[in-house]
Amino acid sequence: MKRSIPAVAALAAVASLALAACSGGTSTASQPPAASAGATTASGGLCGTGDVTLTVSGWSLSTTPEFKKLADAFHTKCPNVTVQVKEYDASNYSTLITADLAANAGPDIITQKEVKYVTTFVSGNQLLDVSDLTSQLDPKLSGLTSYQVNGKQYAIPYRQDSWVLFYNKNLFDKAKVAYPDGTWTWDDYVKAAKSLATALQAGGNSSVFGTYEHSWQSTLQGFANAQAPKGGILTGDYSYMKPYYERALDLQNSKAQVDFGSITTNKLTYQGQFGKQQAAMMPMGSWYVATLIAQQASGDADKFNWGFAPIPQYDSSTTGTDKTPVTFGDPTGFGINAAIAKSKVAAAKGFLVFAASTDAAKALAGIGITPALTTADVASTYFATPGAPTDALSKFAWTTHKTSPENVTDPRTAQVQSILNDAHTAIMSGSSSIDAALAQAKQRVHDEVGIG
Amino acid sequence: MASFTIDDAGPRARSVQPRRRRPGAKLKRRNTLIGWSFILPNFIGFALLTLVPVLALFYISFTNWNVFGTAKWLGLANFRRLVHDASFRTALWNTVYYSVVHIPLTLVISLALAMLLNRKLRGVAFFRTAAFFPYITSVVAITTVWNLLFSPKYGPINDVLRFVGIANPPGWTTSATWAMPAVIIVGTWREMGYYMILFLAGLQTVPRELYEAARMDGANAWKRFRHVTIPCLRPTTFFVTVMLTIGSFKVFDIILLMTNGGPGQATLVLSQFIYNTGFVNYQFGYASAASIALFVICIAVTIVQFVVNKRRAA
Repeated sequence: MKRSIPAVAALAAVASLALAACSGGTSTASQPPAASAGATTASGGLCGTGDVTLTVSGWSLSTTPEFKKLADAFHTKCPNVTVQVKEYDASNYSTLITADLAANAGPDIITQKEVKYVTTFVSGNQLLDVSDLTSQLDPKLSGLTSYQVNGKQYAIPYRQDSWVLFYNKNLFDKAKVAYPDGTWTWDDYVKAAKSLATALQAGGNSSVFGTYEHSWQSTLQGFANAQAPKGGILTGDYSYMKPYYERALDLQNSKAQVDFGSITTNKLTYQGQFGKQQAAMMPMGSWYVATLIAQQASGDADKFNWGFAPIPQYDSSTTGTDKTPVTFGDPTGFGINAAIAKSKVAAAKGFLVFAASTDAAKALAGIGITPALTTADVASTYFATPGAPTDALSKFAWTTHKTSPENVTDPRTAQVQSILNDAHTAIMSGSSSIDAALAQAKQRVHDEVGIG
Repeated sequence: MASFTIDDAGPRARSVQPRRRRPGAKLKRRNTLIGWSFILPNFIGFALLTLVPVLALFYISFTNWNVFGTAKWLGLANFRRLVHDASFRTALWNTVYYSVVHIPLTLVISLALAMLLNRKLRGVAFFRTAAFFPYITSVVAITTVWNLLFSPKYGPINDVLRFVGIANPPGWTTSATWAMPAVIIVGTWREMGYYMILFLAGLQTVPRELYEAARMDGANAWKRFRHVTIPCLRPTTFFVTVMLTIGSFKVFDIILLMTNGGPGQATLVLSQFIYNTGFVNYQFGYASAASIALFVICIAVTIVQFVVNKRRAA
């Protein structure tokens, strides 16, 4: 026993020295390539030169076909480049990719799943500056600003979902309520939800609701942040969310919407609620279009007529099909690992430009995904998908919108969002009044994040 | 008697030693090597996966490390920030709340279960196994089912409460007041089987004749329990209390899955505060400082328990 103590101590010392040496090595090694590789421009055109194999991070490949679609399309365009998708667990994606990058084992191209972690990667010198690519992109490409830090571009978006209002035409017809027409403010929406609930529950069916707002904070705060005149998560004062919460509580109390407690305790899914016709309307991201088409085809969702409309607006200044409705959403983009081999940089940059091009947008639209480039040309491909709605309002909602970022690209975003999520659960569960919870959020953001 | 033995053994040992010294040392070295080779596989794993990270944690807690690059030394700034952090205080208070209710409750229930199942009973093996089931069931499954049971409008628990005449049953996991009791109920239900097994083992060691003697002296059931069972179980009770305390202070999985710390911050506990700070906000330095605070609390409480136990034993 006596002898083992120094031995243990020695071993621990050796191990910790090895760890220190190892971490020191990675941190210094990860910095120089960022500078030197940035200077290399795409000299070999889109495809680079020579045979190159690029690795791209992705998630849930069986249900997220976009990675393989883009990889194959790029290989067709540039036969010298092979793109391999490295799969990560979807729910732990950010943690896993962070761990891989910290261990210098990340793939060449880092897919940016959550905008709130972009600044972490940038401050850690993990992403290559790709500002030189912006001149090669379509000016209509949306979501670029989400990847800008200190005036430099660190990733290029290829996908940009935004929130729209899904509605079930059959249930609207049954309740004899007029379809959304693009002129709705949130008050119109609440009124419609209540009339729908009254009509649909008249037969004694209390499990059908006028609308379904999922329990996420974004379902409510996302709109307040994007639409309210004083909105913004970094403002430090969240009283602008109050009318949004009043409406949500009103919907719950009048049974036009299932209550928050039932959503969280019964683990209701939005796919089930809308797909099984438990709600006539649902604000949701445009990613749900592809899911609903697939689930109606497979039988996981009922077969009914549906469409989607622009999301209801703060006031009438942005309603109507002659205006641009304001909604929110975050892009998904590709960035380049700062530690990428120099010989691969040109091809990797080529892949980023390609993924944001009209060709790639059409390929994505063909599998029901909303690309970051939604021109009329791309829209016709998107709405030609069997099972997709064909009405003019759905097309308008898909192509015309001002999409504010849900997560502002700022190092404080993650922390502010988790404080606002506490306020959200406190208000929606009825544990706290709107004023008290928003005041507490303000105080906490001030104390813990230093805003305001 | 004692001095005689020593006097007798002393010279013999001295006279034998020179002859045996070399082989004895060799044997000792061999035994040590064999011993090391037995624990080495485990020790390498422990050192790499536990010891080194724990040592690193102490260093990181004094820095502002965010996973990438080098960490900047901050001195005690993280700890100063902890003291003034209202969320940390909320988490600390909630953890104490959980522990103070959960520890005695689990202790009493598991002891009661053990006493109940320590008798000759038809199907006792089945009941013992049944009580142990929650402990070996996946925590994800447990929390999903309990969440359904606790559902304020459609859950069976509130249905029963309404049936017995309670007009406004609690909102359980959707209410800031009742979320913690709900979590404690599930925590107790899950762990009682495990501690019951420990108590059962302890009860087997209580000598029968003590009960017999107590009965002869006219002690009733309560007195036998109070003056025979409890003192004889003291080592077991001590072990259970220590394990329960540490377990309660680092409670995490049940809360993350049942309420995710909500509603608001009603069930935010220290482990979750650490998790959020580290893996959601990427402030690993600050999260490490909070972990050290949790470590210090756990070790302080354990030391107090050891001291109290020693004093009682004396």
